[in-house]
Amino acid sequence: MGKLRFYIALWAGKLCRPVLKLTRHKATTFPGELALRLCPSFLQYVHMPEQVIAVTGSNGKTSSVEMIAAMLAADGRQVVYNKEGSNQIEGVTALLLYNCSLTGRVRGDVLLLESDERYAKFTFRWFHPTHYVITNLYRDQLTRNGHQQWVYDAILPSIHPETTLILNGDDPLVASFAQGHDPEKVKWFGLEENPSSTKEHQGIYDDGARCPLCQGRMEYSCYHFAHIGHYRCTVCGYSRPAPDFAGTALDLEQGQLTINGQTQIHLAFRSIYNIYNILAAWSVCSLAGVSPQTMAQVLNNYMLKNGRIVRFTLGAHRGALLISKHENSVAYDTNLGYIQSLDEPCEVMIIVDAVSRRYFTGETSWLWDIDFDRLNAPHVRRIWLCGTYENDLALRFDYTQVSPDRLQFRQSIPQAVEELKASGDLPLYVMTCFSDRDKLLNLVQLEQGGD
Amino acid sequence: MELTILHLYPDIMNLYGEYANLAVLRRHLQALGASVTVRALHGDDRPSFEGADLIYMGAGMERMQKFVLERLSGQGDALRQAADRGAVILFTGSAMEILGRSVTDAAGREYPALGLGDYTTRETDQRNPGDVIAQTELLPTPVVGFMNKCSLTQGVKTPLFSRLLLGLGNESQLGPEGYVDGNIFATHITGPVLVKNPAFIDLVIRRLAGAKGWDLPEQLPVLPHEQDAYAVTLRELRARVK
Ligand SMILES: [Zn+2]
Repeated sequence: MGKLRFYIALWAGKLCRPVLKLTRHKATTFPGELALRLCPSFLQYVHMPEQVIAVTGSNGKTSSVEMIAAMLAADGRQVVYNKEGSNQIEGVTALLLYNCSLTGRVRGDVLLLESDERYAKFTFRWFHPTHYVITNLYRDQLTRNGHQQWVYDAILPSIHPETTLILNGDDPLVASFAQGHDPEKVKWFGLEENPSSTKEHQGIYDDGARCPLCQGRMEYSCYHFAHIGHYRCTVCGYSRPAPDFAGTALDLEQGQLTINGQTQIHLAFRSIYNIYNILAAWSVCSLAGVSPQTMAQVLNNYMLKNGRIVRFTLGAHRGALLISKHENSVAYDTNLGYIQSLDEPCEVMIIVDAVSRRYFTGETSWLWDIDFDRLNAPHVRRIWLCGTYENDLALRFDYTQVSPDRLQFRQSIPQAVEELKASGDLPLYVMTCFSDRDKLLNLVQLEQGGD
Repeated sequence: MELTILHLYPDIMNLYGEYANLAVLRRHLQALGASVTVRALHGDDRPSFEGADLIYMGAGMERMQKFVLERLSGQGDALRQAADRGAVILFTGSAMEILGRSVTDAAGREYPALGLGDYTTRETDQRNPGDVIAQTELLPTPVVGFMNKCSLTQGVKTPLFSRLLLGLGNESQLGPEGYVDGNIFATHITGPVLVKNPAFIDLVIRRLAGAKGWDLPEQLPVLPHEQDAYAVTLRELRARVK
């Protein structure tokens, strides 16, 4: 009976796709929704490939998934994965519908899923990944996701005892997913101390101050960023595990990463984030049997395609948009650190107009979590604060060391753009979120290609 | 004019930029000519409220809140004595629950709380984030803010906000919210509730001055951007009410 419902759902889902195309509907999750309505246990009946890889966490999911797909493809595997990032159960169902035979067998060697950290438990109720990568847990969109321990509690029921966990051992909360899991089925990735590590915590708040197991005080021998580093609980002894897959040497300035003391990677994108995305991808592909040579070859020629940096011109300014997720202070801090590290004069623009593209909120407390003092550098000549929440930004800057005479307040984005067009020729770095990106990009000259 | 602010567990109960409440309050007090000391009570310190004119705690994650409940166990009387000698107490976000009689977690385990307010809190497995517009007789203008709670609080007889135009109250949509008793203020509104609401800052300053015997001018200092930020947020939130 169940099987019959499955076939009806499968064929109905498959059939409605060309109909949607004919009626010029964009590819949506609708076929997935339809299939699940006809057969709620649809995913249970799909014949999965031998390897099912899932990736979840606050940041870096999409980038890691793209790298994993590229490395598996270079090894000759046929990979089915959710490129469009529709990562809830309807999206996963739609993905499988499009990529399976009429009898429900997935056409591919590997199923690779970017998985929403809050909804993974609904998807993995019906099948479970063979490899489950968890990248990191930070404060990210608290208004939607809740805080990171809440997210931890949401991910936990999605973990099946048979699944091999691939965990970021440098994130104490992520590492605690190993508690109670078969130690044979846990693999760690991490970054060793290197010239860009610090002894002191950097940033406004420290989510690594307390142990995730006993709330005891933690000590770090080094930090890589935020609460990511080498930690040890002074009370229960919980500590950073030795990584199976380690970034053993890193020179961010030269763009060189060494993995497991053997393989050198040239970094196309020099951010500490990207290092962890690479390590996550490397670990799971190693476990899936891809050789270090193949992986290195892919990574050395790898260009990020996720649109996080968009280059443009505005009057005499050459501009770069650094996508910075609102309500995600770690993302902002990383981009601020990048601007801080530049050695040529520049201008900066920060836009907070709509906090999210998906929902409304007037919540701006996250501005106080961002370390805007990183812009208190002589080469940052002017800072433009724009958008509906310009006043909240202005108020936030009143509590930094940044000199007020460098600040320009313009609620209207077009007005700020006009003024910039008419004055100055310094490079311009714009920080804003997907929700506000086009309000700027529609007014400037985009550069072709870009990265 | 000298004044001491005690910030309880700033490294643990800090989910929504709460330190900013005290930074902004301090600047207002300094504009009045007061000299302000901000002291912190950390997780491993022995709790003491001595010498504090304002005692503040912000929001934290559920497990951190339980840790704080354990650290503060048996301190209800000491905090009550501080209130009796005139200290202003402000607990925001999930810290509000700590001022009540108990907090019961989603698994059913009950944690005794400080007992200054005669109310109890029960956590749920449902999180209810949302913007808030709240009215209180204590202020001429509504308070704006945000809430992100996964609990219901029962038994409050003297709510801080008599009604909400937007948001989840102690136990019902738009219902009464928070708790007030003299100079004890509690609200589940998170984030920098003082930063967002200059009128609330003035209220706290007048209560502090009352306890300290200071004479305040009719018009309290107005600092840049605060009124505009408030007005824009109120406008944006009002547009959501219909
Ligand atoms: Zn511990």
